[in-house]
Amino acid sequence: MSGCPFLGRKYPLFTSKPSQAEEEDESQKGINKATKGGIVYGEYLQLDKVLNAQVLQSQEKGNKIHDEHLFIVTHQAYELWFKQILWELDSVRHLFIKKHVRDERNMLKVVSRIHRITMIFKLLVEQFVVLETMTALDFFEFREYLSSASGFQSLQFRLLEAKIGVADHLRVPYNRQHYKDNFHGQESETLLSTEQEPTLLQLVEQWLERTPGLEKDGFNFWGKLQANIEEGLKMEKHKLEQMEDSEVKQDLLADLNKQIEIFTALFDPKRHEHLLSKGERRLSYKALQGALMINFYREEPRFQVPFQLLTALMEIDMLMTKWRYNHVCMVHRMIGSKAGTGGSSGYHYLRSTVSDRYKVFVDLFNLATFLVPHAWMPKLNPNVHKFPYMAECYDSSYNSYSSEDSD
Amino acid sequence: MSGCPYFQRKFVSTSKQNLKEDESDDSQIGVNKASKGDLIYGDYLQLDKIVTSQVLQSELKGNKIHDEHLFIVTHQAYELWFKQVLWELDSVREIFISGHVRDERNMLKVNTRIHRIVMIFRLLLDQFAVLETMTALDFYDFREYLSPASGFQSLQFRLLENKIGVPHNQRVPYNRRHYRDNFGDQESEQLLHSEQEPTMLQLVEQWLERTPGLEEDGFNFWGKLETNIFEGLRREKEKIEQKPASEIKEEMMAELIKQRDIFLSLFDEKRHDHLVSTGQRRLSYKALQGALMIYFYREEPRFQVPFQLLTSLMDIDTLMTKWRYNHVCMVHRMIGSKAGTGGSSGYQYLRSTVSDRYKVFVDLFNLATFLVPREWIPKMDPSEHTFLYMAECCDSSYCSSSDDSD
Repeated sequence: MSGCPFLGRKYPLFTSKPSQAEEEDESQKGINKATKGGIVYGEYLQLDKVLNAQVLQSQEKGNKIHDEHLFIVTHQAYELWFKQILWELDSVRHLFIKKHVRDERNMLKVVSRIHRITMIFKLLVEQFVVLETMTALDFFEFREYLSSASGFQSLQFRLLEAKIGVADHLRVPYNRQHYKDNFHGQESETLLSTEQEPTLLQLVEQWLERTPGLEKDGFNFWGKLQANIEEGLKMEKHKLEQMEDSEVKQDLLADLNKQIEIFTALFDPKRHEHLLSKGERRLSYKALQGALMINFYREEPRFQVPFQLLTALMEIDMLMTKWRYNHVCMVHRMIGSKAGTGGSSGYHYLRSTVSDRYKVFVDLFNLATFLVPHAWMPKLNPNVHKFPYMAECYDSSYNSYSSEDSD
Repeated sequence: MSGCPYFQRKFVSTSKQNLKEDESDDSQIGVNKASKGDLIYGDYLQLDKIVTSQVLQSELKGNKIHDEHLFIVTHQAYELWFKQVLWELDSVREIFISGHVRDERNMLKVNTRIHRIVMIFRLLLDQFAVLETMTALDFYDFREYLSPASGFQSLQFRLLENKIGVPHNQRVPYNRRHYRDNFGDQESEQLLHSEQEPTMLQLVEQWLERTPGLEEDGFNFWGKLETNIFEGLRREKEKIEQKPASEIKEEMMAELIKQRDIFLSLFDEKRHDHLVSTGQRRLSYKALQGALMIYFYREEPRFQVPFQLLTSLMDIDTLMTKWRYNHVCMVHRMIGSKAGTGGSSGYQYLRSTVSDRYKVFVDLFNLATFLVPREWIPKMDPSEHTFLYMAECCDSSYCSSSDDSD
């Protein structure tokens, strides 16, 4: 059905007599319900609060600057959406914490909500262009009235980072020392208790460790993969050695040796532990195996949605880092190399946070280092290996309509 | 200077970077000011109000539905941005109403703010994709608790429409009958004011009528244009008549006659007034001339920013109609052909508002009908026609940092 309102000249662009003969039109039927009591739009959305929260400091100090209103509204919009992200994030963490995620019927909800978070982040990245319609000159006129208020004090932003899994010890130093000092009383407590709760990273890690197919006395994905890769590399080497000596042959052999090194490192648990201690890897060795398994067998029915989840998690990291970078660029334009209102070095500090230290699911990105030809992947036998097709068992507490689960 | 943090390997993640920190690194220098009293972020933005205004009706009624939170926050974000758009729009209208726009140094501000409105609308359009992550099934679970709240009751949206210039008599009938019934006394008064105060359309119309070069005893743009066009058409006709008879010649002749009819209508002031009475045209005849003048001479220094303004005004219309259409599509997905919570026919009603009736600056779009080859445009003589380069006089009240900064 064409959605075009002008198809069939039902709603033509021009009519000679616009006011006649339209009263009988279907689209114009209806009664106005608002006059009959019940909650109205403005009350439902508590607009009396939301729309009366814009107080310009420049105006309070007797020098109203027009652009300060945009500055305020932009930040308030960001905070509204942060709240929404936290709402979705907490509901997903809850599904993992309560173990409801073991009933795989809940996976659709998990993926939909994580994906929703990425859609919101996309909007938040796009939102910068609106604030960028303010020039540095305009900003300069009211910046002094902001004194020490700073985004550094955004509680929701810190909660977001913490709940996703940004590691305290990996934050850049200024941030590490000071970021908590910004909060007092209730807010400080909220932040501290959040840090005690399981992060999305930890919950996903445990979930990955449970990936079916990893069992050594079962499918033994890791053992089989290692055998296949070593065999495959051996055969490649053999083929190359049979080539006639040439520069090309040397190059290919050098490449192969690099490959061998990479895979040797992959199957070395001690090396993994070492990288973990340095913060270059974040997932456990077993979780890494689970992630690689889901990647390789993503088209098997049981792994399709899990694969979408891993993709969405990487998307969150990408969008957060784009957000940080967009922020840096804008700040640079606005204040050059001056210090931030919260006391940091401003631009320089922000630039240092555009770094892999803040990438929570960095391991998922790095999986691309370990891709292998299809032929090397351990083969599944549908008669024997039922796990990619059938979920284990249904959680007795699962109920799509239960009010607790609909959190 | 490259903005890339990895340029010159300054902030590359290296294995040694993580735990041993370069305390002497510039980026880590600073003093935490928040502990020194003064205004903090949360207070500045009154977050205690903003972040506690999400109350789920489904939860109040004992059946908390997760997705209702998204529904609430999305609408609150729209209303926040509507407030910002009204802030910008009112400040621009004030510049026109007070006459300050006659000092052409104010044009940059006018333009910048109208363009800012355009940027906000683009964001509002992108925002639909977020709400579309909610399925019709999820919406169904809490929709019953909303009644009769409806977007029909959004005061700011109506103020916006009115202040830009959507005329009451052009609204589709259901809207015309009921749109003010949705509001209590105080809000209804606000709405009435917004209908009576000068709209963006009216203010721009008056400004266009003052376009330098229209003066009949001066440059006389319109008179010269009419002469040039009919002279040009005459020459075209002669050229075609000299061709040997053929089907192509017939077609070209027919085409030319169509062109001629279009231009005859352009220079027919009575026809223009008739179209204004039916709502198909909105600007006065003189204002139309001003707009066409700005189009044709947009590269002249004095007209460059005015041209940008006209473009941005059309962008606003385009974005508003896209907003309406996006809204329609989403509503159709969410409620099919059910009635709206506010009592309208829902999808059908909304679809009827995706129409040129709601296009305020429709005349600017239609100017594209009257474009002519460059040679037909009346020529300027820079030594004589200096009005294109120099502003008239500077308003004595103009001052970049005065309370004009509203």
